Amino acid sequence: MRHPGPNRLEGLFWALFAQSAVLTALVIPAHILVQGVLGPLGIVPAFDQHYSTFAAGLGNWLVKLYLFIVFGATFWVFAHRVRYTLLEVGVPGGKQGLGVVTYGLAGLATLVAAYLLLTVP
Amino acid sequence: MSARETVGRRETGLGEDAASVASTGGREAAPAHPNRLPTDWWRRNPRYVLYMLREFTAVPIAIWMVWFLIEIGRARGGPAGYRPHQSLAFVIFSVVCLVFAVWHSFTFLRLSGLIVRIPLGERTVPASAIVAGSFGLLIVATVVVGGLLTLGGR
Repeated sequence: MRHPGPNRLEGLFWALFAQSAVLTALVIPAHILVQGVLGPLGIVPAFDQHYSTFAAGLGNWLVKLYLFIVFGATFWVFAHRVRYTLLEVGVPGGKQGLGVVTYGLAGLATLVAAYLLLTVP
Repeated sequence: MSARETVGRRETGLGEDAASVASTGGREAAPAHPNRLPTDWWRRNPRYVLYMLREFTAVPIAIWMVWFLIEIGRARGGPAGYRPHQSLAFVIFSVVCLVFAVWHSFTFLRLSGLIVRIPLGERTVPASAIVAGSFGLLIVATVVVGGLLTLGGR
């Protein structure tokens, strides 16, 4: 049984969500615009359109760290929003059960991102 | 609930309500009625639909990031096996994701005036100024990040 008082873990989750949502709100549109639209259409030279520039960028530790934070933040926002949305539309599983699934998925995806970023040339 | 109550409840097999009555010294506690809404509650008001759309933005953004991860995975194989996403289908998919990403940015940063409190003497910075600053930051971040992604491709 949970002790009376504020649920600090839940508070931490919400705080992480707020920070992650701000970060994704600020940087994700630029990534999708350049890497997903303008780069593939050949309008601008995006860094992931050629192996040489992509590998050079990913070889920089600051870029690795930045991308790891962006991946983690994006997947955390996904987990948190999906968890509460599923609750709100009445999906069974309970708050904790859905939390385990969604945060688990986000954690797994973040681990995969870390592995790929660490092992890419 | 004390340890004794917990043990007693376990031994007697009392249900939640009975245990609740016992723990209030015989007074009948108010029965718990979980707030159950119909699953389609969000379709009954355009504002609720927009709310759900805002919550849904996390899904296409996360899927797009998984595509980015796949691209990083391809780069691990060296130059011979590397193929960047360039198909028309990917561009269309990205445009859809971009719409959701901008919607997330717009709706979340618009809330910043309600959430952030910056003391300014005995007052606080007006909410409108905080919202304007947030959108200004979005423009700066887009130019800087977009510029770096482009410069890295030269």
